[in-house]
Amino acid sequence: MKHEGFPAKWKPVRRQETRPKKDSGRGAGHALLGPALAAPATLWLLLAFAAPVVVVLLLSFQPEGDAFAPLTLVPSLDQYKAIFADPFYARTLLKTTLLALGVCLASVVLAYPLALWIVSLKAKWRPLAIAAVLTPLLVNVVVRSLGVELLLAPDGLINDLLGVLHLPKAPHLLYNYGAVGVGLAQAFLPFMVLALYDVLQSAPPRVLEAAESLGASRPVRFFAVELPLSLPGLRAGVTFVFLMASTTYVSARMLGGKIAWTTGMVVWQEVLENLNAQFASALAMVMTVIAVAASLIIAVAARRLTPWLAQRPARALALPRPVVAAIDAVLPVLSKVLVVLTLGLLLLPLALVFVQSFNDVPQAAMAGFKGFTLRWYRQLFASGLYLDSFWVSLKLAVAAALVTVLIATPAAFSLVRTRFFAQPLIAGFWLMPISLPQIAIGVGMLRLLQVWTALPAFVGLLAVHVTVTLPYCIGVLRASVLGLDQSLEEAAANLGAGPVRRLFLVILPTLAPGLAAAGIMAMLLSFEEVTITSFLTTARMTTLPVRIYAEASYSLEPTVFAVSTLMIVLTVLAMVGLGKLVRLDKVFAR
Amino acid sequence: MTVSRRQFGKLVLGAGVMAPMGFVRRATAAPKPGDQLVVGIWGGVQERIVREFCVAPLEAKYRCKVNLVLGGTPERRARAYAERGRPSFDIVYLNIFESRQAMKDGVTQAPGPQVPQFAHLAPIAKVGGYGVAINPITIIYDKRKAKKPITSWKDLWNPEWRHRIAWPAYPSAEGAAGLLMTAKVWGGDEHHMDVAFDRIKALKPFAALSSSQDELYQMFDTGVCDVAIEFGSLSRKYAETRNPNLVIATPMEGQAAALNVACITQGAPNQKLAEEWINLHLSEPCMLAYARQTYYSPTVDNVTLPADLKPKLISSQDMGKLVAFDWDTVNKSQRQWASRFNREIAG
Repeated sequence: MKHEGFPAKWKPVRRQETRPKKDSGRGAGHALLGPALAAPATLWLLLAFAAPVVVVLLLSFQPEGDAFAPLTLVPSLDQYKAIFADPFYARTLLKTTLLALGVCLASVVLAYPLALWIVSLKAKWRPLAIAAVLTPLLVNVVVRSLGVELLLAPDGLINDLLGVLHLPKAPHLLYNYGAVGVGLAQAFLPFMVLALYDVLQSAPPRVLEAAESLGASRPVRFFAVELPLSLPGLRAGVTFVFLMASTTYVSARMLGGKIAWTTGMVVWQEVLENLNAQFASALAMVMTVIAVAASLIIAVAARRLTPWLAQRPARALALPRPVVAAIDAVLPVLSKVLVVLTLGLLLLPLALVFVQSFNDVPQAAMAGFKGFTLRWYRQLFASGLYLDSFWVSLKLAVAAALVTVLIATPAAFSLVRTRFFAQPLIAGFWLMPISLPQIAIGVGMLRLLQVWTALPAFVGLLAVHVTVTLPYCIGVLRASVLGLDQSLEEAAANLGAGPVRRLFLVILPTLAPGLAAAGIMAMLLSFEEVTITSFLTTARMTTLPVRIYAEASYSLEPTVFAVSTLMIVLTVLAMVGLGKLVRLDKVFAR
Repeated sequence: MTVSRRQFGKLVLGAGVMAPMGFVRRATAAPKPGDQLVVGIWGGVQERIVREFCVAPLEAKYRCKVNLVLGGTPERRARAYAERGRPSFDIVYLNIFESRQAMKDGVTQAPGPQVPQFAHLAPIAKVGGYGVAINPITIIYDKRKAKKPITSWKDLWNPEWRHRIAWPAYPSAEGAAGLLMTAKVWGGDEHHMDVAFDRIKALKPFAALSSSQDELYQMFDTGVCDVAIEFGSLSRKYAETRNPNLVIATPMEGQAAALNVACITQGAPNQKLAEEWINLHLSEPCMLAYARQTYYSPTVDNVTLPADLKPKLISSQDMGKLVAFDWDTVNKSQRQWASRFNREIAG
């Protein structure tokens, strides 16, 4: 039997049918509509993002100097020469890139079975599964890293399990690149799962049925049909995971034990410990170039692998018989194992966080259950310190989500419904906060601290958080706007509805799942943001992640687990509440 | 209400005249209700102690608000440097060599008698700011794994500790102590560090590199390492509460001097409150709370220590035995040493 992929000129019919005409907004009366819709996002990023980036760029071309060396406008390549002349930095950049690639690979292998499993679930269970994937995102990166530590520690869960099974223990799971990789995969898996879920659930059923009726087994159907169809989602997921993993430093510091070095850690050390912002900036710019190059490579690879999206002929995929036989034999079992493993990786650290919040140990990182106590909850409510930070984070996350959705929605419409001069340039500019390592923005912010602290603390933090969340939400909303059925709007117009009525009665209700998805994404990203915020947070405005991160640098008590457990419970309740209004599985599906 | 062009012009002119007033501060303004003192300090037990013995009395006395910015020294120091001249912090807590450099760099003020407890400070605690805790760094080890007690820094090179050391990451107070004590005992000094790097390299591979106390104590708990270089004070607390097998060594060459220093920033918005804060930190109740809860030794001579605490703390006589270094050289060399450490020891 010969298994073939797509017909030569296959194209995703359903998506094509619903896609609106791109030039529908063009017209003499609408000449300014595109720029006007794009203006809020552009202005916001110019003020809150471009300034620190320009500072970083300027600093990277400064000669060697102390912390107070005056800035010169005569560019110097000293810092870049120092980076490229020293094999240590080349090695660190290479190791970090390989680490990020490994995390991408692991995320892909783990995320596919889970995403397929969620797609295969009955409709009533899907929101629960999506909630399980989303919940880890609300737990701070420090706490999640601690959860991974508790998993991998010499007396952690894995070694306990090995002991129960009378297998030799693995005492060296922590403080190496492997541990960092596990931590990063755990942190970024949800994004990969959601990206894949989105495309997999929208795969045309008739194509899947056609494959099945042609005799393709379930595993073969995956390789021949679902995998190629999901490549756009895979591209988005891989790009995101690579960018985040290649610029990490918080998880790397905690799980790598300063033996596993990443470029982010070197930037952190140079700017904070050595007060060498010039060198740190140059290194951050090199990281940016690598990130942009990686994004381009991923984009080119994705384009080559999905010729049908550009109306180009696709080569048929033929799987040799032995491969088919092997796939059929192994994949059904392997996929089940991987689903369990992935759920375990996502949820076990959270379960450990929950258990540890009742553990009578003096220190957060101590593994092994020593006795039940409610002491950490009592301490949490008695001191109120974490709760203050929790409220700050919550208010900030809600405000960031609202502002982001307000700005991102017109931006998405300007991308999809209008064409105007410099539009591609502006669209590229909107994506820059993703491409640039967040630590680089932090370095720039540190230099602008005097200006920044002149702003009200909440406004300053809000400006930065919206910068972080905006590119993701524009992406989510762009897809949602693209999926709007314009015939409904035309029908409403024909029936006499003006633009405002069409907006409130047709467009916004249809767009509601997209708006909810963007809002949730913005809230999650804001709630866990620590990289830039730790450079900016002030005494009056300490967010929960920054407070936890700050304490982790000295001594962390299990109170952090108590507050994290409360957050998990609140998240689940919020998801349940949200589930009553919007189906979560629909929210993350276009 | 409408505003005429002439009225608008007057308003702009008035705002222009008044604007510079916003930048002018009274040098030593008296504290008034509603003032906000900003203090950058470590979290955990330190936060709890200062909240009880500094925050509460200060807020009660002046009806002001004290804001604590918690975190590690690097973030705090970097922000204080970034804000030099117009700081958002009134006080930052730094370590012994960072505080001296910050004062030289014009980031923080020299200490002075305007803080009444300054008169009682030990000489070592009067440089670079107000020393608030003597906190020397030494070797700690698991006595079950020792063939004989550690009595010298050179004992780290004994075969029994091979591959069992958690070496402190550099830059940090513990990392600097590890490097400098190694240089000292093997014939080098701050100006001749090759010997230190070579000797430390000879100890590789390490069981781990430690970058925080939490992490290190967990390594002892789980048997990842058997010996390390760490603050004796906090390690004593750890030994008493969790690890009875841990020994805090007293090497014959001495323990490395380390100090927590409270520094008032140059141009601190709340100078008087900052001085009063430091006086409260140096007061007997606060010093005793630190001594009891963390075994940090007092830096002032007008504190009466309970008999049970005396043997666990550094007395004023013992302060002279602590090994101090040329901190200017340590500061100047940090970038170079960190770079070497990353390549030769951590990498």
